[in-house]
Amino acid sequence: MEKKKLLVIEDDIVLQKALEDYLSAEGFEVKTAGDGETGVNMAMDENPDLILLDIVLPKKDGYTVLQEVRADEKTKNIPIVLLTNLGSISDVEKALELGATTYLVKADYKLEEVTAKIKDLLKIK
Amino acid sequence: MLRERISDEFDLKKQADELGVKVWQTPSFLFIIMGIIIIGAMTGVYVASISYDSPEVLIVSESIVVILLLAIGNAIITTVEQVAKANKMKTEFVSIASHQLKTPISELKWQIELLLAKFSEGLSGRQTEIINEIAHSGEKMGRLVNDLLDVARIDQGQLALAKDKVDFCDLVDDAVEAQKVFAKTMNVELVSSRSVGKIMVLADKRRMGVVLDNLISNAIKYIDTKGKVEVFVENNDGFAQVCIRDNGVGIPKNEQDDVSKKFFRSNNSIKNKTDGTGLGLYIAKNIVEQSGGKLWFKSVENVGSEFYFSIPTATNKKK
Repeated sequence: MEKKKLLVIEDDIVLQKALEDYLSAEGFEVKTAGDGETGVNMAMDENPDLILLDIVLPKKDGYTVLQEVRADEKTKNIPIVLLTNLGSISDVEKALELGATTYLVKADYKLEEVTAKIKDLLKIK
Repeated sequence: MLRERISDEFDLKKQADELGVKVWQTPSFLFIIMGIIIIGAMTGVYVASISYDSPEVLIVSESIVVILLLAIGNAIITTVEQVAKANKMKTEFVSIASHQLKTPISELKWQIELLLAKFSEGLSGRQTEIINEIAHSGEKMGRLVNDLLDVARIDQGQLALAKDKVDFCDLVDDAVEAQKVFAKTMNVELVSSRSVGKIMVLADKRRMGVVLDNLISNAIKYIDTKGKVEVFVENNDGFAQVCIRDNGVGIPKNEQDDVSKKFFRSNNSIKNKTDGTGLGLYIAKNIVEQSGGKLWFKSVENVGSEFYFSIPTATNKKK
């Protein structure tokens, strides 16, 4: 089976690297972006199967990235998992309203659980 | 009860400490001053009205009284505003500090997990053990920060609860399973039973886990010597209900009204042997209530406690 391509948009290098290493070891092809602007460009160029998106990002924040990815015909159907440490009612509602598929609170989830969620969304056994 | 209340009202130093203001700013003190002024002023006006048969004197003395009363009223309002503002700032501070702490905690947890899951080749048994201990400390820190953040969110009315469709029995089973090791180290027998096979509920899976963890670990923690904790699940007229019964130290009667208050810790015999922030029950009660349910307990000191909570089942239309 062909490798599924994931795009990780996360400015915290430690977290980005941890996700990249773990998900690569799980058999995904992982692309990374460290800010919102690069993230949007890479989403257009790489056309990933799923995007992991942080909310607090330099240049363009996660909400803006979400809107731009959803507005483009080519990328509007890509599942987007929001990775955040926010998590109050207003943040979550805003993200889901803007078209996030689901969200995960980083400090509460293990990499294993993040992976399970991704596999679940991509319907991989 | 009434006597306690009155002596509390007059304990100005304690009140000032609790509110974080100066003694002369406490509402009780200002009210007492206001009372004295009213009595003094009425006497003054009375004396003035019989000593001087002059409407001017009367008007001036009455004006002075009104001005004094307005000044005191203003002082009371200022104090209340100051306390409310300080409280809001404190909540915001906790919220911001916890958010900042969450990033390094996520880094710590993910790095350790990555190391153990994908790069553990060549690590000795002792090395793995040490890393597991670090992971454990990270988990503990994460839980603590989550508790603080949850409290701040509850206080701001901003606690977001997910609506996962889950089997309540599974949630309880998972929570009981997770506490088995702790029970064993505390020499406590932990058993669970149920009267139904499945009860579907719409609730925040992770937070329901937090509630159950809190209640079950409390039950285990507050047993002095060898004891038993029983967890029982039933479907009670459209509500998924769980009872956690222990034969532990119980809660003294005079403290029972306070146990689910923020930061409250019972003054029972083993308080100093167990650690805790006094936030668990406060959070649990708020999560349960926000999920449309309720949490209550019965307890007898030195006999044991029964903690209950129930939330509406997914098919319950009455909630």
